[in-house]
Amino acid sequence: MRALRAVLLRIGGLFTSARHERELREELETHLQLHVDDNIRGGMAPDEARRVAMITLGGIAQTSEAIRDRRGLPALDTLRQDLVYAVRVLRKNPGFTATAVLTLALGIGANSSMFSIVNAVLLRPLPFKDPDRLMLIFSTDARRSDWFDSTSYPAYIDWKEMNRSFESMAAFANRPMTFGFGAETVLASGKRMTANLFDVLGVQPALGRPFTVDDERSGHVVILSDDFWKSHFGGTADALGRTVRINEELHVVVGVMPPAFHIDQAELERFYLPLPIDPNRNHGFLRVVARLRAGVTAAQARVDMDRIADRLTKIYPRQQAGLGVNLLSMPDGLARGARVGLLTMLGVVGMVLLIACTNVAGLMLARGTARRRELAVRAALGAGRARLTRQLLTESLLIAVAGGALGLLAADWTSRALAAVLAQQFRVPRVDATSTDASVLAFTIVISVATGVLFGAFPAFASASPDLNDALREGGRSATGLRAPRLRSTLVVVETAVALVLLAGAGTLLKTFLTLRATHPGFDSGHVLAVDLFLPQPRFAQRSPRVQFFDDALRNVEALPGVHSAAFVADLPLGGSTDTESFHIVGRPDPSPTRGFNAGFNIASAKYFQVMSIPIRAGRGFLLSDGPDAPGVAIVNETAARRFWPDQSPIGQQIDLPITKTLSVLLTIVGVAGDVRHVGLGIPPRAEIFINSMQSQLSWPWLVLAVRAHGEPAPLAASVKEAVRAADPHVPVGRVNTLDSVVSLSMAEPRMYTFLLCSFAALAVILAAIGLYGLMAYTVSQRTHELGVRVALGARRSEIVRLVTRQGLRLATAGAVAGLAGAAATTRLLAGLVKGIEPNDPATFVLVTLLLLAAALVAAYVPARRASRVDPMIALRTE
Amino acid sequence: MADKADVWQGTLALMVLKTLEVLGPLHGYGIARRIEQTSAHHLALNYGTLYPALLKLEQEGYIAAEWGVSENNRKAKFYRLTKAGRKQVEKEAREWERTTEIVARFLTSGEKPS
Repeated sequence: MRALRAVLLRIGGLFTSARHERELREELETHLQLHVDDNIRGGMAPDEARRVAMITLGGIAQTSEAIRDRRGLPALDTLRQDLVYAVRVLRKNPGFTATAVLTLALGIGANSSMFSIVNAVLLRPLPFKDPDRLMLIFSTDARRSDWFDSTSYPAYIDWKEMNRSFESMAAFANRPMTFGFGAETVLASGKRMTANLFDVLGVQPALGRPFTVDDERSGHVVILSDDFWKSHFGGTADALGRTVRINEELHVVVGVMPPAFHIDQAELERFYLPLPIDPNRNHGFLRVVARLRAGVTAAQARVDMDRIADRLTKIYPRQQAGLGVNLLSMPDGLARGARVGLLTMLGVVGMVLLIACTNVAGLMLARGTARRRELAVRAALGAGRARLTRQLLTESLLIAVAGGALGLLAADWTSRALAAVLAQQFRVPRVDATSTDASVLAFTIVISVATGVLFGAFPAFASASPDLNDALREGGRSATGLRAPRLRSTLVVVETAVALVLLAGAGTLLKTFLTLRATHPGFDSGHVLAVDLFLPQPRFAQRSPRVQFFDDALRNVEALPGVHSAAFVADLPLGGSTDTESFHIVGRPDPSPTRGFNAGFNIASAKYFQVMSIPIRAGRGFLLSDGPDAPGVAIVNETAARRFWPDQSPIGQQIDLPITKTLSVLLTIVGVAGDVRHVGLGIPPRAEIFINSMQSQLSWPWLVLAVRAHGEPAPLAASVKEAVRAADPHVPVGRVNTLDSVVSLSMAEPRMYTFLLCSFAALAVILAAIGLYGLMAYTVSQRTHELGVRVALGARRSEIVRLVTRQGLRLATAGAVAGLAGAAATTRLLAGLVKGIEPNDPATFVLVTLLLLAAALVAAYVPARRASRVDPMIALRTE
Repeated sequence: MADKADVWQGTLALMVLKTLEVLGPLHGYGIARRIEQTSAHHLALNYGTLYPALLKLEQEGYIAAEWGVSENNRKAKFYRLTKAGRKQVEKEAREWERTTEIVARFLTSGEKPS
């Protein structure tokens, strides 16, 4: 207590010196007077009396200093002096200070905004109890190199019962469903879940009850998410017990989850239903989440689950062959794709910051040279090396903190803007929660201080021990000679190298993206509107109501003015969904006893190929006469024709497609359609077989209505929706997009990375160019005298320009060469991020190197021109 | 001078407090003289070291200072004991006695083998 009080008073003592100093002088003066009086009374002469008093006191100056030290805190006092001095120095050099602070603000700002996003997406805890102990368990299929596959219900039960690592395990499946209450029917994403899921996550409904095991058997019950409850049920407790229609079946609302609770952070689910038992081991549709037992590590759980997967493949060789398991912590598992990308981008902005640091370090070094005399004078007056280093470091830290503060302000804004873009265009989960919170603040403070030390330490050590003799000599013109200072040159080489690495990465991505954009998808996306539809299941599981709806809807839509043609398709190319089926070819043995042939299957109505402008290469397309009662027909694409019928025409061939265990259909191939890039623009076409929607026994709940317009497709949206509603009011209409935007959305991820990396690379090149410019300008100013001599001796101006420019280019070239090695590694890293990247593309590397050298040329040319204008008279007179 | 003892900081604080307890409010010079006299000039007190000690006690709240006039009409800063200071004198005195007692025991027992 007392010690604390003393410390506080001492801190206070730092700021109230004037009055204290006066009192201190007066007190010591009184002391001496009293002592002198006593001595004189004791018989001493006045002079002698004063001398003895002084000696006994121990000197006024020393005593004053001891008292001052006691009054304030000496260390803090020095810091205060350093700070005050640093502020004064920085204010006296506004140009230097502004450049340094802005450079760092760019670097730190870029880092803070990227970190804000990483923080929101990856680091913030999920709304579950102990989320770190939660794992997502995926099925893997090595043959399809799918490491994040869903699993079947029986396999989930096996995992749950055979494992020794988890205290609990639950499963859920994402299902879009129609949700009707009152007169309204909406399409909403729901989750079917095992009754124990909320227990595993450690979250219970805020209102009502959780699911019970009985609900899994009989359950027509539903639990609402908090936001859905508030937006559609007014957030009142009488929502409990209400009856709603889900996929046209009646359900009773039994609970409401707490605010902000969502399992899927990418596409927020609106409600939860119990998951019925599904005995089909071939039907992989479940996501599995499990809570680790206390003391069990993720690695141990992984070993345990691998063992189980091995046993299952032995027990069920037909269904489980080739299947393994993959475990990820829940935060990582939910972020999956975005995770690697975001961390890479965080690394990239780290490199930008490194360049910014190098730049400022260069500036500090230059100033250290300019301040040689000042520092030498201070050293001569007794300031130790440690004291000078501390002073210089204080200045760096001050710059860094100012840059950090400015960067944080900028990041607060840019991170929100970036997050908005990421959420809208790239559907990164949880990104909309991006905000500048305590972690972002802490991160910014840490990197600011770290950068301050990083760019300040070198110059501080280099400048803090000046050679006094040399520095103090009057007019001390150091012999710089032809060379730029070595340390600064190294810094410029380093930052050029880093800039080239980023530039090469950006160039490679950009090239991939441009190639992607120029890739013809195999169809014409112009003038086409894509309308997502959902067929509620029990009613539309039968073929006849489907055919009825297709007929009515197509007739209504095609009757609209401005519509050229319309067609239904199950999976729109580049729309993100695919379906693979196994089939047999009539008259040919299966490739293996356990499996048939595999191809992508799609369902389309008659005019699909017309609407999409997909050419029919051989045979015919679907006809209106291919009705439900006509013989089954199929159309294959070119890739399928080549793969399955390499030496003959597929037309007239028959395939046998199993629909259920007991039912299969015989289809005759009537045509070959042009290849379409269905899965992605960067991915070669797959083998694909089309079934006519009017004949299909397969029931697809999701459908796309593709409408080709005569003019702009977007304005047709409202009337098309109305036409569908007129055909069947209970079929909800989902998103309506132009096909152009679907194609564009399929490139969202490469576009995002290209956009980010190009911005950061541009920043890096600008910073590196500024660094080179700064160095060259400095060198030129140091060499004014020498250049003046050269001009006086007859050097032409163009020669001077060439001399200086060549020096700058030499540094940039050295950096570029060093950077190329790093670039090779970086582009390989990017290849893991975006499909279709070609690492180490020589053309790209050459191009970015030239670009960087061009920037360097400009940066060196400006000071070179100034050098060539040196007036020899003035230059020599400065002697 | 050679056999005069130096004053350690801790004991100086106690001497200051005790002086103020006995004599009441006093200026720095008075305190210094009193300590010298009481020690019968066995202490080599550098008067200058007294002032940081006084400031420390003031910061810790054991003494308070105010300006007044000395007996020979000079303006001087007078220190007086606070309530906390009074308690502190007793406490420190007790601790001092205990310490010296323990040390004394060591010195006497040090001659016997143990």
